[in-house]
Amino acid sequence: MPAATAVKAVTVSDDPQVYEDEHVHSVYDEIAPHFSSTRYKPWPIIAQFLSSLPTGWVGLDSGTGNGKYLPLPQDRPGSVWTVGLDRSRNLLEIAQNAGGIQREVVWGNVLEIPWRAGAFDYAISIATIHHLSTPARRKLAVQRLIESISPAHGRALVYVWAIEQDELSKRSIPTECSTNNPVTDSAKGKDVFVPWVLSSRSASEEKSKIPTSHDATAEANKVFNRYYHMFAQGELRQLVEEAARDLGLLIGSAGEGKGGDGDVPVRGLEIAQDGWERSNYFVEVRRWQSIS
Amino acid sequence: MVRLITHNLLACHVKGCTSNNFPLQFKDVQVELREAEFNPDFLRGFIPRLEWGALVDAARQLGDTSLPAEPPEMLDDDFLQKLHHVLLEVHIEEGAMICPNCNHVYPISNGIPNMASAYHQPIHNVVN
Repeated sequence: MPAATAVKAVTVSDDPQVYEDEHVHSVYDEIAPHFSSTRYKPWPIIAQFLSSLPTGWVGLDSGTGNGKYLPLPQDRPGSVWTVGLDRSRNLLEIAQNAGGIQREVVWGNVLEIPWRAGAFDYAISIATIHHLSTPARRKLAVQRLIESISPAHGRALVYVWAIEQDELSKRSIPTECSTNNPVTDSAKGKDVFVPWVLSSRSASEEKSKIPTSHDATAEANKVFNRYYHMFAQGELRQLVEEAARDLGLLIGSAGEGKGGDGDVPVRGLEIAQDGWERSNYFVEVRRWQSIS
Repeated sequence: MVRLITHNLLACHVKGCTSNNFPLQFKDVQVELREAEFNPDFLRGFIPRLEWGALVDAARQLGDTSLPAEPPEMLDDDFLQKLHHVLLEVHIEEGAMICPNCNHVYPISNGIPNMASAYHQPIHNVVN
């Protein structure tokens, strides 16, 4: 693999918002059409989650990108309604016609909550939180997701890149540990740049068959580095639990919330499932509340 | 797109603006009507999730007075067709939404609302 396409360890510098603007948002705005043409196949866990939702539910896709999850579920199209939120305006232009039907998309920030609190029945955050460059911002993004869904029945699925990549993955991950993370702390992921090679030849492939010199090809292939925080095993679940606790939610199943006093509802969050799928970690949560 | 299904979810989130921050008021809007597939099962399940009064008011602001002040008990096809039209076939393409409390302006351009509030705009030029 050429050096330009290898994943590199990085240290986050600058104001995190400025850093993400440069190393995430502006990159996606530049590569939007090419990126979108490579993103069409839904991951099985996400497809299952969206298939399991009751008809009539409304949901949020926080960091929707090209909107590839907006048309799901495939087996019951139109049975639920997913609104897409993203920071990249150019990806939203693509997302608003995902699947050939007009979708609802909103330009905004996953660290803000431009909705009525608890307005959604479900929310997904797929390959998004790993673009936030500090632990505090990643936790805030999870909190915004939890706050967006119904306190009584809301369900959410979070999906991020894992350090542990499967052998079929096209991603090449540096084996040495990022220097700013102590090796002893296994719950810390790695901060990396993942290159995106935007080939002008692939954009206008059939237009010209004239062979180009090596230099011209190198110039034509523009490389964009995207910032990622690659999650370690257990890190995502820990992040979700911390985010929920900070919101005053009990971690556990609804039965464990009984026995409080007064008419104040006890609110909680259950980890419905968590695991690793095809080089990603995921956590699915369900909110509950009970009057004791 | 901003259709009324989305408008019914949006609220102002400027720091400190926590009451009377919903629903946002339309200003100088351009509306387009486009047919969408009718899905009565979705609508029946979705009705309890709506802030009904806000939907009726928003529709009236856009000149559509077809919805009753309260959702009817009998959800017949005639009613569901009207609801379908109001929720899913009225597209606000240009204009703005304004917070009734703090007057923050959320612009709508090419059907996409800019709901960013407290943070700065992206540093690069947006290519449309």
